[in-house]
Amino acid sequence: MKLAKLVIAALLLFMGAAVLYVIRLDLLITRQFEGRRWTLPAQVYAAPLELYAGLSMSGADLERELRRLKYRRVDQLTHPGSYRRSGEALEVSLRGARFADEVRPAQLLTIDTEHDAISRLRDATGHEIPLARFEPMLIGSIFPIHGEDRIIVTPAEVPPLLPAALKAVEDRNFDTHHGVDPLAILRALWVDARAGQIEQGGSTLTQQLVKSYFLTPRRTAARKVREAIMAVLLEAHFSKTDLMNAYINEIHLGQDGDRAIHGFGLASEFYFGKPLAELDLAEIATLVAVVRGPSYYDPRRHADRALKRRNLVLKLMSDQGIVSAEDARHAQAQALNVTARASGAYFPAYLDLVRRTLRRDYREQDLTESGLKVFTNLDPRVQSMAERILDRELGKLDRVHKQRGAPLEGAVVVTAPQSGDVIAVVGGRDAGYDGFDRALDARRPIGSLVKPFIYLAALETGRYNAATIIDDAPVSIRLAPNKLWEPENFTHQTYGPVPLVRALAESLNLATVNLGMGVGLDTVAHSLNRFGLAEEPPRNPALLLGALDLTPLDVAQLYTGLANGGFRTTLRAVRAVISSDDKPIKAFPLDVQPVAQPDAVYEVDRMLQQVMERGTGRPARAVLPEGFTVAGKSGTSSDLRDSWFAGFSGSALAVVWIGYDDDRVTGFTGTSGALNIWSHLMASIGGTSWNTPLPESLQEITIDYPTGLKAQAGCSDDLVSVPVPAGTDPVLKPGCPGVAPPAAGTAQSLLDRASKWLHGLTH
Amino acid sequence: MVAPPYQQPSTAPGTTHSEPPPRAPSTVPPPAGSAQPAQPPPAARQYQLGPASAALVAQAHTQAAGGNADLAAATIERALRIEPANPLLWIELGEVHQGAGHYAAADSMAHKALQLAAGDSHAEASAWHLAADSLRARGRNAEASEADARARALGAR
Repeated sequence: MKLAKLVIAALLLFMGAAVLYVIRLDLLITRQFEGRRWTLPAQVYAAPLELYAGLSMSGADLERELRRLKYRRVDQLTHPGSYRRSGEALEVSLRGARFADEVRPAQLLTIDTEHDAISRLRDATGHEIPLARFEPMLIGSIFPIHGEDRIIVTPAEVPPLLPAALKAVEDRNFDTHHGVDPLAILRALWVDARAGQIEQGGSTLTQQLVKSYFLTPRRTAARKVREAIMAVLLEAHFSKTDLMNAYINEIHLGQDGDRAIHGFGLASEFYFGKPLAELDLAEIATLVAVVRGPSYYDPRRHADRALKRRNLVLKLMSDQGIVSAEDARHAQAQALNVTARASGAYFPAYLDLVRRTLRRDYREQDLTESGLKVFTNLDPRVQSMAERILDRELGKLDRVHKQRGAPLEGAVVVTAPQSGDVIAVVGGRDAGYDGFDRALDARRPIGSLVKPFIYLAALETGRYNAATIIDDAPVSIRLAPNKLWEPENFTHQTYGPVPLVRALAESLNLATVNLGMGVGLDTVAHSLNRFGLAEEPPRNPALLLGALDLTPLDVAQLYTGLANGGFRTTLRAVRAVISSDDKPIKAFPLDVQPVAQPDAVYEVDRMLQQVMERGTGRPARAVLPEGFTVAGKSGTSSDLRDSWFAGFSGSALAVVWIGYDDDRVTGFTGTSGALNIWSHLMASIGGTSWNTPLPESLQEITIDYPTGLKAQAGCSDDLVSVPVPAGTDPVLKPGCPGVAPPAAGTAQSLLDRASKWLHGLTH
Repeated sequence: MVAPPYQQPSTAPGTTHSEPPPRAPSTVPPPAGSAQPAQPPPAARQYQLGPASAALVAQAHTQAAGGNADLAAATIERALRIEPANPLLWIELGEVHQGAGHYAAADSMAHKALQLAAGDSHAEASAWHLAADSLRARGRNAEASEADARARALGAR
């Protein structure tokens, strides 16, 4: 009697506990399921390619851009995401796309090219249109710290074959079971026992979903029971459609460093570089194959295994009548066709800048969960070139000065100076690795990169011009009672009186220090601050030789002002942010601030052109196309630890840093190191020459480059033309006639006519 | 004013793309190291909008008229990415800002336009007018009159 009571009490207690346990699990799993629906990392897009008549892109160039967006070449245009090439015309079935400023439905576009440029654009009706654009490429997302990245897809974006394949392979009775499938478990046990190894799991899709929600490496029996209970609970609450959709968006399908690839939407981009909706049968089967073991069946690292399993998936699909035997055979004959690495679509250093920009305005949770769409200025074409060139040239440089230890590293920042758009950021040699971002975080002494701002400060005083002669003479400055600072030129020589243009072109240290001390450290520091330096530079004479630690991005900000004629434009990685329901929520408008006298900046820019023609940038000439006018400056820190080059054309600015992470001596100057990367990059980017019009208050004069004395053809064998304030009249070189000789040849007559015209202007 | 010695072609849209192998850019300056000026002296020229920019500017005008200044500015920025050195676009962008009450921004755009417009008296005059409007809106009437006078000296708007 007593015993029975005890047993009943124990049973009741147990049942009560069990009920409580189930209720707790129910709460947990429903909360998890509901919550997941709204957890959506911000999606980040590159800048769309704008197309218009006159754009110098050949048919092949355009095809390359289409392939970057994973458009397929077809014979007959059928669906968006494909194109047809007939002669010089490209017919493109554009996908519908969200832009920062509009939603565009899918549409037809015909692009005619002629002489390697677009000659005409036509819409579906054959009417000529002034411009069109390809959709912005998805370049990544901002996922939470624990690393789960995904692109959520709606049922409408899922090809019907995918759920069918999943059911065929993973869970045949999905449509009818209640969360667990005892028969499947028995069958799996039977198959595994016969094979002597685990070939089939008995977990339903629902169980797998639960397992994924509470990812844990431990596989205990208790955990399996818990998962089974939760699966049954989920089935009780939600429809099969909801569960399938959750599964498709949830499941782990790959790994990219710290980044976990979740869901078929992202996996499709990750392995094939295109939207899920555009996958063919073989590709769908590949993803379904990966479900069973994303690392064991990694289609990139273990292509054989993945291919074998994909073909098994196809066989199962055909056995169960989901596809015809013929279609399955055809798909089985195809290669895996995965993209070579996740590269080309994943730019961690650029995303890093995007993330930092957004963190000023958004909480981490908003970025990783609320499905924002972020439109950036990244140019995938330039970004890919910068990554490739940095790695290639560093490889060459590594062979020049062979060293033990970690290889040379580098970073690149590219901007469009007029708009302040940051169009590429490379944070290191292994650009796809989301690690130390040198472009944003490596603070290194900038060396002679500081010099243009000293010359600018000097010109702005009105006491100097490009032809003013300064003294490249020994410097001795007392920093402390018993501490003398006696810098030297790189060559350990002194050059005596030289014009400003030569001192900057050849990066003469002594002339520059003398100039900077004459102008004043405060004035120089102020000049840097005006161009966007956030910190107060130290008022130390060594500042004049670049004893100032900056990141490549900081340098890009400073030089963007020089390239933009003395207008500071705040560098922008992000153009606009759109909410998950397509409402514009933040724009980053173009902002320009005049921060220097435009005429003085013009003179500095022209001197920086002489750096490229005669000075430390000259080796770039062998790489750059003939007649491509660029301006730039090298920088080298003491003992050759950091090698820099910063410069610009009319449409692009690039900053390159190279060095070792542990600050070892590299053996490279800015010229022998970073310039190699810079010049190849600028040549590849192309674009327009630097070509700012001569300000009306300046005039061109010719001087003898070595001495700075006024001269003409015939009395100097090293003439340079420099812009100086109108009325400037330097001392005449001995032996040069005081009056211009009669016009000889077109160049001279052009100059002559120009000076006559200028003369007319001033009167 | 003296008649210009030669006519410069009106500016065409910038060429911003050239896949490798690199091609020479469309603007060809004199050969390296020569004693010639890096570019011709200020000569009379007349900036025009390329067809793509013109379409975007028209679109921006509609957007601005509809009260959507932010969108209008973004549309002109699109055009500026195509022709960053065209002063007319900087003036357009400045006018959008002026209309939206961003007077300081309008003034900056006017000065950026002036820098690029050297030699195009029409564009310069428009830029000075914009600067004048921006100054006047901020109560700087004396400076505004000065800017207007400079615009008038350059010719009609």
